[in-house]
Amino acid sequence: MKQAQQLPRPALVWIIAAQALLLLPHITRVPVWVAAVYLAAFIWRFQAFRGRLELPGRWLKVALSGAAAAGIALSFGSLLGMEPMVAFLLTAFALKLTEMRSRKDAYVVVFLGYFVCLTAFLFSQGLLMVGCGLVMVWVLTTALVSIHRPGAAWRDTRSMKLAATMLLQAAPLMVILFFLFPRIGPLWSVPLKSHTAKTGMSDTLRPGIVSRLSQSPDVAFRVRFDGEIPLPRELYWRGVVMSRADGDTWRSLGYFEVPPRERAEAGVVREGPSLSYRIIQEATQQSHLYGLRYARSSRRGVMHLHDYRMYSPAIVESEFQYAVRSWPQARFGLELSNWRRRIETRLPEGNPRTRDLAARLLSEAGSAPAFVDAVLRHFRSQPFFYTLQPPLLGQRDPMDRFLFETRRGFCEHYAAAFALMARSVGIPARIVGGYLGGEINPVNRTVIVHQFDAHAWNEVWLAGRGWVRVDPTAAVAPDRILYGLERALASEGSFLAESPLSPLRYRSVDWINTLRLRYDALTYRWQSWVTGFDGETQFDLLRSYLGEISVTRSLSLVLGCAVLSLAVVALLLLRRSGPGPRPIFETELRRYTRALRRRGLAAVPGETPAQLTERAARRWPRHAEGIRALYRALSSLVYAPRGDAMASKRRLRQLRRRVRRLQFVR
Amino acid sequence: MSSAVADRARRRWARWLDRRIPRAATITLDRRRIFIFPSATGGFFGLSLLVMLIAAINYQNNMSYALTFLLANLFLVAVLHSYANLSNLTISAVGAQDVFAGQRCAFHLRLAADERHGHFALQVGWAVPAGERRRRRLWDLFSSPDMLAVDEVDLEAGTQRDLRLHLPVGERGWYRPGRLRIESVYPLGLLRCWTWVDLNLRALVYPLPRALGKPAAQQGDGREGLELAGSGDDEFAGIRDYREGDNPRRVFWKGLARGQSLQTKEYASTIADPRWLNWEDFPGLAPERRLSALCHWVLDYHRRELEYGLRLPTTTLAPAQGERQRARALRALALYGIEEEA
Repeated sequence: MKQAQQLPRPALVWIIAAQALLLLPHITRVPVWVAAVYLAAFIWRFQAFRGRLELPGRWLKVALSGAAAAGIALSFGSLLGMEPMVAFLLTAFALKLTEMRSRKDAYVVVFLGYFVCLTAFLFSQGLLMVGCGLVMVWVLTTALVSIHRPGAAWRDTRSMKLAATMLLQAAPLMVILFFLFPRIGPLWSVPLKSHTAKTGMSDTLRPGIVSRLSQSPDVAFRVRFDGEIPLPRELYWRGVVMSRADGDTWRSLGYFEVPPRERAEAGVVREGPSLSYRIIQEATQQSHLYGLRYARSSRRGVMHLHDYRMYSPAIVESEFQYAVRSWPQARFGLELSNWRRRIETRLPEGNPRTRDLAARLLSEAGSAPAFVDAVLRHFRSQPFFYTLQPPLLGQRDPMDRFLFETRRGFCEHYAAAFALMARSVGIPARIVGGYLGGEINPVNRTVIVHQFDAHAWNEVWLAGRGWVRVDPTAAVAPDRILYGLERALASEGSFLAESPLSPLRYRSVDWINTLRLRYDALTYRWQSWVTGFDGETQFDLLRSYLGEISVTRSLSLVLGCAVLSLAVVALLLLRRSGPGPRPIFETELRRYTRALRRRGLAAVPGETPAQLTERAARRWPRHAEGIRALYRALSSLVYAPRGDAMASKRRLRQLRRRVRRLQFVR
Repeated sequence: MSSAVADRARRRWARWLDRRIPRAATITLDRRRIFIFPSATGGFFGLSLLVMLIAAINYQNNMSYALTFLLANLFLVAVLHSYANLSNLTISAVGAQDVFAGQRCAFHLRLAADERHGHFALQVGWAVPAGERRRRRLWDLFSSPDMLAVDEVDLEAGTQRDLRLHLPVGERGWYRPGRLRIESVYPLGLLRCWTWVDLNLRALVYPLPRALGKPAAQQGDGREGLELAGSGDDEFAGIRDYREGDNPRRVFWKGLARGQSLQTKEYASTIADPRWLNWEDFPGLAPERRLSALCHWVLDYHRRELEYGLRLPTTTLAPAQGERQRARALRALALYGIEEEA
């Protein structure tokens, strides 16, 4: 092997640092043993470096790779899917370290490192992750540079500086390309993040599901309204509409459970003012989209379903941005088809006491609207409690137990009880899952909707009015609707009890809260401009800046920017004219004469520094030798070698101290 | 590709290169003299970028797009940095040591950096001559030719460095190492930046000394050469053709008067004069071997600190001794039959 092909030691250290860094963002996604493989590979490499161990031979390497693949298949159950792939990549990445001997191997490891960095972005594109990614790219690039600096000392930071410089020089054109590169659809379907938990509202509703969601401080979505933000108590974000009751579980109708003629939205009367807003939804791994009552979105790929909700046929795997227009006072579902009436009143057996109660309330009330009021009055007048920690209800007649014994529940309990009672007397009713309210960020006037804003309420069909929203929780805990969950649970103290570190718990501490809101505003901006940038926003952007979108215009813009940014870099790198850095001697001489001048000895025009020194020696005979020695040291700088910066720097510091001391000569 | 076509292409390339980077003892690298092309690693990097771009497209992931574009631009920026790493480097030929055929010759170069730019990971050396090169495959387009006598050099701004590169030399005469190749893949290894400079370096290669036969003066009885030098002076031995440098007193004027060509009278003492190393002393040897033998004796006489002269068919060196005489004699032997180059 040629000497030139060997790997310099600093490069090895940088590569190991990069590998450790690259594992960090993935550490929760991969099995623990992958981290152990990393550690083992580091130790092995280190011992090989010290000459204590041999690097593995070919057969051992084959065996190790096979074992890694088998281990991943065992840990994840398959090799397909994104997490197993990432785990496999990381393991291969770690094992590569043990066989890295030459520059060629190091290149492979560094390029693989760039790819691992990319996989981290597939899971999160948040600001924190991007900052982390920048550091990773920097360290990897430094490793790449230090591969070519075999002579560099350990303390030499020039590789780091050069890597940073080059990355910064590459950045402007990156921004241009980012906004101008055509966004096309996926070329083929790729494995999904199969092992990531679904978050947010689920398709089904069982007592306990929403209350579990309400423990989470995560953000569900952020909304920016064009114009005034409605009151939080009017922000009922509809997500899932659950029309089927199976036992004590409610779920939404699947697409094919609905007969084709019923699949379109029917009987919508758009009335009153409308609201326009833009939602950026976090990844949920589900298909639900959220909107205020009667929402329409013009975004491509958003479906509007028969129960007046929006739906994304593709699973929301990363942040999803959509513009919505809502008519809060619109009426929908004015006519109810027979099929729908049958579906919306169907009820499983059980809960006899609840049915009796409903029948009694209906007979007292006389009409459907009066019945709704009566039920709400019942919740209000009886000792019902709103709690995040409701007791278990058991398998048999859970609603009976809830309404007549425990009387403690979260919104889903009340919604389920209401729907059950209404349906039992033949009034079409269903449960709607979504979020209620949200936090208004004063920094940028967005509404932040957290997972703990999750809520369930009802829609009941009344003749002439269509589907009407009824929120039984409002009867039990008006604070929840008016002020949000934290206030409603104030006496219980259970708000975010499982997330002691969430900054949301410290909203009362002013500076933490300000910081959190500022960061959130930054996140919103980041999401709306960068991570949420897609073909449609690109189209709008290009049209507003270029006027007309044509290949030639975009291409000439890219080329123009490329030439411009590279020209600037070239100018910085290659400028030749002009003097080089001022010789050290001159700057130091200036300090010296200045020090003498302060002592009252100014240089006479035409005097050489040596003559000046002699005059100084005569003036302060006691210090004559010291001054002469100082001048000798100074003049030796004329011939100081440039490259020997480290050594001369120390000498220089000494010299300056001596010049300063001269100021005390009297 | 047939070798004739390849040869023609190579000649054409060499002519073009001669025009572009003319021969000079000191060359400062600039735009005209620097070539740049992606290295094999750069090709691999491009492939990685393609994979990353496909991942970004398939996952519709904006940060992956950004990373891919950042790295692609890093490649572009690296073009400038690679170029800057070679630009403004000054290479001077200091000299070459004279050697005997078959030895390694030390070529002495000086690399100097200007005040502003350092130069790193420079590989300085000569490409393996075309005839000895292994066959190049298409893949090798990205890689540099195999190099001889390579040294890797880092040069800080404002410094200079002397290099001695040792090359094996072949036949006697002038050895020209050809164009010096300086290349570097600094800083990222993605691009190879190189230059071919002709520093007009040449080394004088003496014949390989070989102890073949003895000079006439020492043949036969083994008497000491010096004694022989003292003995009879004017014993006529014969007539031979005139050679330049022959003593006019020994020219066979009578023969000339008779219409014969210019001839010289030879006397035994002339042949036997121990101070002379003669071309004719080694009859039966091929010219090259004859030169080798003469070379051996030049060295031998020099070592024994004797005075000696050299008589070749084309030149004659008057007897003398010392380093200077040795150098002149060896030079004469090295260049025998070879036209002095301008």
